[in-house]
Amino acid sequence: MGKKRKHSETESAAPPKKDDSAPERPKRTLLGWKDKTQDAEEPKPAPEFRNKEKVLVTCSRRISFRYRHLMLNIVSLLPHCKKDSKVEAKSSKGATLNELVELKGSSSCLFFECRKHKDLYMWMVKSPSGPSVKFLVNAVHTMEELKLTGNHLKGSRPLLTFSSNFDKDVHWKLLKEMLTQVFGIPKEHRKSKPYHDHVFAFSIVDDHIWFRNYQISVPHNEADKVARGGLDKMTLVEVGPRFCLNPIKIFGGSFGGPTLYENPFYVSPNQIRALEKRNKAGKFAKKIKAKTRKKMHEISNPLEPDEFADMWKDDE
Amino acid sequence: MSLDDDFLEDDEMNMINVDEAASDSEAESLSDSDNEITEKLAEPTKTAVYNRDGLLDKLQDISWPEDVDWTHKLTVEIDQGPQAVDVNDDLAREMAFYTQALEGTRQAFLKLQEMGLPFLRPADYYAEMVKSDTHMEKVKSKLLYEKKQMEEAEERRKARDNKKMAKEVQSQKMKERAKQKKDEIESVKKWRKQRQQSGFSEKGGGAGELDLEFNNGKSFQRGGGKKRPGVSPGDRSGGKGKAASRMGNKKREFRDSKFGHGGRKGLSKQNTAETTNDFKGGFRGGKAGGGNKRQKR
Repeated sequence: MGKKRKHSETESAAPPKKDDSAPERPKRTLLGWKDKTQDAEEPKPAPEFRNKEKVLVTCSRRISFRYRHLMLNIVSLLPHCKKDSKVEAKSSKGATLNELVELKGSSSCLFFECRKHKDLYMWMVKSPSGPSVKFLVNAVHTMEELKLTGNHLKGSRPLLTFSSNFDKDVHWKLLKEMLTQVFGIPKEHRKSKPYHDHVFAFSIVDDHIWFRNYQISVPHNEADKVARGGLDKMTLVEVGPRFCLNPIKIFGGSFGGPTLYENPFYVSPNQIRALEKRNKAGKFAKKIKAKTRKKMHEISNPLEPDEFADMWKDDE
Repeated sequence: MSLDDDFLEDDEMNMINVDEAASDSEAESLSDSDNEITEKLAEPTKTAVYNRDGLLDKLQDISWPEDVDWTHKLTVEIDQGPQAVDVNDDLAREMAFYTQALEGTRQAFLKLQEMGLPFLRPADYYAEMVKSDTHMEKVKSKLLYEKKQMEEAEERRKARDNKKMAKEVQSQKMKERAKQKKDEIESVKKWRKQRQQSGFSEKGGGAGELDLEFNNGKSFQRGGGKKRPGVSPGDRSGGKGKAASRMGNKKREFRDSKFGHGGRKGLSKQNTAETTNDFKGGFRGGKAGGGNKRQKR
């Protein structure tokens, strides 16, 4: 692999945020050196905000291949994450997972839980005392699918776009904040790459959060200016992965705690399957009933004996 | 990575999340598409918890400070538009997501441009990409394959159309020829009848009365006038091998015509107009001939 460009190369183009002027030489006067300490008594600037988000990504055992690939895709998208080994089924309870998160020193966690080899639940948790959300994940398409043809730098910071209905209600606002913190790569992260060449799209449609990841391709010559009219020629190519999140519950603590929000429209996949089976089961019972009804009907209304029934009997 | 490349079956790309229009009762009719079945309840369960204050509190807890620079968050909010997107209509849904992302990127790029930060990847910046090169090769080959399939289908269709048209044209021509033949025969018969009727008189100049045009002035050409350029009677290559062999080697051409496909017919030991005056004999094609003679041992 070629030598990676250090951040410093690109940062040099960025204008310095603060006026970090080097301490000037003390002025020389007849009486000696006069320090500029009086002027340099600026109030200490507020400590710069540093995003120190670290995400722990784990899954439960008996996760199927598609969901495992989804998890691996997410790991490759988020350089500020740390992938951990599978957790035992018994220990996918609050306490053990909390401990794990503490141990790794992460501030949030994405836990993929696969039930019955069919349903994928995703927990998004903010660590020490933060809220946690449990989602049901649908419509999973991983990056390996050949129809998703885009590609982007591994670890480059994405632009996050949210649809405006995230601001319509409190629980959506909370989810938006959590998504920003988890999926947004910290600014000067060690493993992040400098340019912005892909964009995440989170939209709420039908009370589900849909996630898409697109690569940005725009004709350009310089790194910090789009060519004239280039913005109109911008195209997006989908990179993947794709998934759809259905929020089930929001808890006040991490991996547990008081329930702050329950999705009123949520039906668990088990219930759906049970319903289906019940419908099918009903079929046989109905058939039996129909048969007995037919018999009863025949008994109560006997047919008249047919005149021609004996016509061919003699002929043998 | 396991080789689960072509996950994508067509029915999976179709609607997976089904929103059923509700009947009055809670039990819904289901439509299952593949293994993914979801549905929404008709009326929300009355017992759903919604602790707005708690949610707000938590939101305050985890939010970053207000004055954080936009470059930390890089979020853009886009309006979805007045019309709700239909979840089941795949194309409309994907279009909505695409336009949202496009708008968002435009706004973000404008902001970044104002800030003067570099955000576009230069062409010579090589670094690890999120999909490996081998994977991108597979993607490319699949795209090429699809393109080829389409082109072949197009060609086949065109060939079929052409054939149909050619058949029509041919049938037209045949009809025309038959008609012409009939006409000519008719006219000859008529002339004979005329002569018979006028009693074979020699008055008007016999042959001159035959006012018919045979062949419409065309001269007779053996083989129906098909022209194959460059074919001479003694040539055994059928006149077809010429175009390819002409490309390039003159010497090869000469040898082909002399020895190829069984060789020349037989007049090899007789003079032609050109060779009458050649006393030294043989091909005089410059160095190549001399070189070859030297190589022969």
